[in-house]
Amino acid sequence: MGTDSRLRGWAAAFALAFVALPAQAADAPTPVEVKADYVAKLAPFVVWPAAVFAAPAAPLVLCVQADDAFAALLDKLTTGQSVGAHPVVVRKTPRLGADSGCQIAYVAGSPAQTPAAALKAVDGQPVLTVTDTDSDTGAKGIVNLVAVDGRVRFVIDAARATQSGLTISSKLLALAADVKR
Amino acid sequence: MLVAASISLAAREEAIHSQQALQQAEAQTDVLAGSVSAALAFNDKPAMHQYLAALMRNPQVAAAGIYGPQGRQLAVQTHLGADPPPEVLIPGDTMRTLGRVVVARPVIEQGQALGTAYLQTTPDTLAGFAARHTALVILTGLALLLLSFVTRAASRLARANARLSEEMKARAAAEEAFRQSQKLEALGQLTGGIAHDFNNLLQAIYGAFELVLGKAEDPKTVRRWARNGLEAAERGASLTRQLLAFSRQQKLETKPVVVAEALQRMGDLLARTLGPNVQLVFDLDTDRLTAMSDPTQIELAVMNLAVNARDAMPGGGQLTVRTRRVRIEGDAVLPPGWYLELQVADTGEGMAPHVMDRAFDPFFTTKALGKGTGLGLAQVYGVARQAGGDARIGDNPGGGAAVTLLLREAPAPAEAAAVSGPAAAPTTAAAPATVLLVDDDDAVRGVVRGGLEMRGFTVLDASSGEAALTMTADVAPQIAVIDYAMPGMDGAETAERLRQRLPRLPIILASGHADTAAVERALGGSATVLRKPFDINALSDAVTRLLAAA
Repeated sequence: MGTDSRLRGWAAAFALAFVALPAQAADAPTPVEVKADYVAKLAPFVVWPAAVFAAPAAPLVLCVQADDAFAALLDKLTTGQSVGAHPVVVRKTPRLGADSGCQIAYVAGSPAQTPAAALKAVDGQPVLTVTDTDSDTGAKGIVNLVAVDGRVRFVIDAARATQSGLTISSKLLALAADVKR
Repeated sequence: MLVAASISLAAREEAIHSQQALQQAEAQTDVLAGSVSAALAFNDKPAMHQYLAALMRNPQVAAAGIYGPQGRQLAVQTHLGADPPPEVLIPGDTMRTLGRVVVARPVIEQGQALGTAYLQTTPDTLAGFAARHTALVILTGLALLLLSFVTRAASRLARANARLSEEMKARAAAEEAFRQSQKLEALGQLTGGIAHDFNNLLQAIYGAFELVLGKAEDPKTVRRWARNGLEAAERGASLTRQLLAFSRQQKLETKPVVVAEALQRMGDLLARTLGPNVQLVFDLDTDRLTAMSDPTQIELAVMNLAVNARDAMPGGGQLTVRTRRVRIEGDAVLPPGWYLELQVADTGEGMAPHVMDRAFDPFFTTKALGKGTGLGLAQVYGVARQAGGDARIGDNPGGGAAVTLLLREAPAPAEAAAVSGPAAAPTTAAAPATVLLVDDDDAVRGVVRGGLEMRGFTVLDASSGEAALTMTADVAPQIAVIDYAMPGMDGAETAERLRQRLPRLPIILASGHADTAAVERALGGSATVLRKPFDINALSDAVTRLLAAA
């Protein structure tokens, strides 16, 4: 391996970087897409009580209380996905309740239910609630997506997760912008 | 073989090492894959870089990266000199390129494939390789060095051994020669005294014959002086016998020796060695105490001690030779048991302590230059050690020095055959027979002829072997008495030639030679050997016996 070949390697890397940048910019996901992606990817880092699933291969239900576009996006992202032996199923839930059968609930509010009411409805249940609110006063789920320095991050309410009987992976906790204990 | 073994060992070690390196790289990649999953899932590049940076602290890692689900590069860190990680990674098996390991492991969380972790190890440097094998190389080198050293040492040892056995042979020969020279030296010391003694004896014999001549007509006087002369001659004969026995060259032969008897046999020689001023006292055991030794060596030891004692008593004194049985217990040198103590004590000036300490050292002497070799007491010590004992020097309670030999007692030999002395009475008138007498010495021939004729034999005498052969052409004698040592044809040859003519002729060979056995061997056992000097009775007895047997 000579020096010229290494130089060529570097040159190729630079060229690729310049070519790739505009391409990546064009492909850059929108904040909504990023959020949907996040919600879709939370499941592997959470452990539910075994009793939550009726059968070993029972589906993991992701309830969505948001506009149809978001629901559709999530549906698309989770297609064919499973967590452990549980296939992921997206269910639109305009009105969330203790008997909704959700393992994850994205709560953005609906004409039928405010986010606060929705959260209250599953409070203490083994449901990972996810909200997306930047306001200090707004109702927040166990996982709350926030924007930090132009990047989507999340805050985790570990205390509430424990109350709900959920175990959140330390890997996820490590990535959180903040953890409430 | 050693080299082959070490190479195979190195190869094995190398295989183990590369296997270990592979496992290590895989494990590290697995750790990265396991820990980076969340960061990958949420596309948290700062977190990815943190994980990568932590991994890159390991100097074995040249490059590491995180790739998305479609193999797209998300985060990469490299050290200088590493191959740049691929832009797009197709997750595959572990690869191994020249000296470096590249591992790509899928990042999976709860069955969800999130991406790929990539790791590239630093190439195995020559220095690293060398470091790993230096010890083995050094050890192998050392072993080879040691082996060559041992081989060389072994061959050197073999050579040294050969040289040593050569030297031992030469030394044994030298020791043999040395023992003989010791005896000759002792004889040399004696010569003066012995010559003087012989002169005295000859004086007695000479005087006796003069008186016999002068008083030839008086039978009583003649008989008395003849007896005196005979006694003196007998003393001389005994003396030469001892000298010959002493100087006899023979191999050192260890056998049971009845020490008291050996000492008694050398009594005359001892007395003459000591001279008239020193009184010799024998205080010998009567139990036939026996030691394993060489009789000549025992005699030489006592002779050496006697010479020393004589020199220590220039004004005269007493030498006591004592033997007795002693029991030794708790001795520093000797094992407990019964020993024969042979002590030679003088009444001389004694020995200073510093002399006593070194007395047994070879070449240590207090005598003037040229007077002694310093080997006398060393020989005494050697004899004692050889007989399983020890030699010690102490003070003689009566003043003077005492040397004690402690010889381990041995079982007594079978009773020695009685030594036949001169016949008590002359044998009278044998059957008339013709004796052929061959001797080159006219005097001896004359005396022997007279003796034989006195016993009634007819004597034909010849002064040489040739003359004897001529003589027997006409007359056939019944027996021949031949001197062994003659110029020209010697006794053995004369006997052989006579036998060719007269095969059944009995032959007596008279020999002054010390080793009668050698003479007998030379004759093939076909003749009787008579040791000179002999008295006429012994000769006529032998003649009569042989004629009777014929």
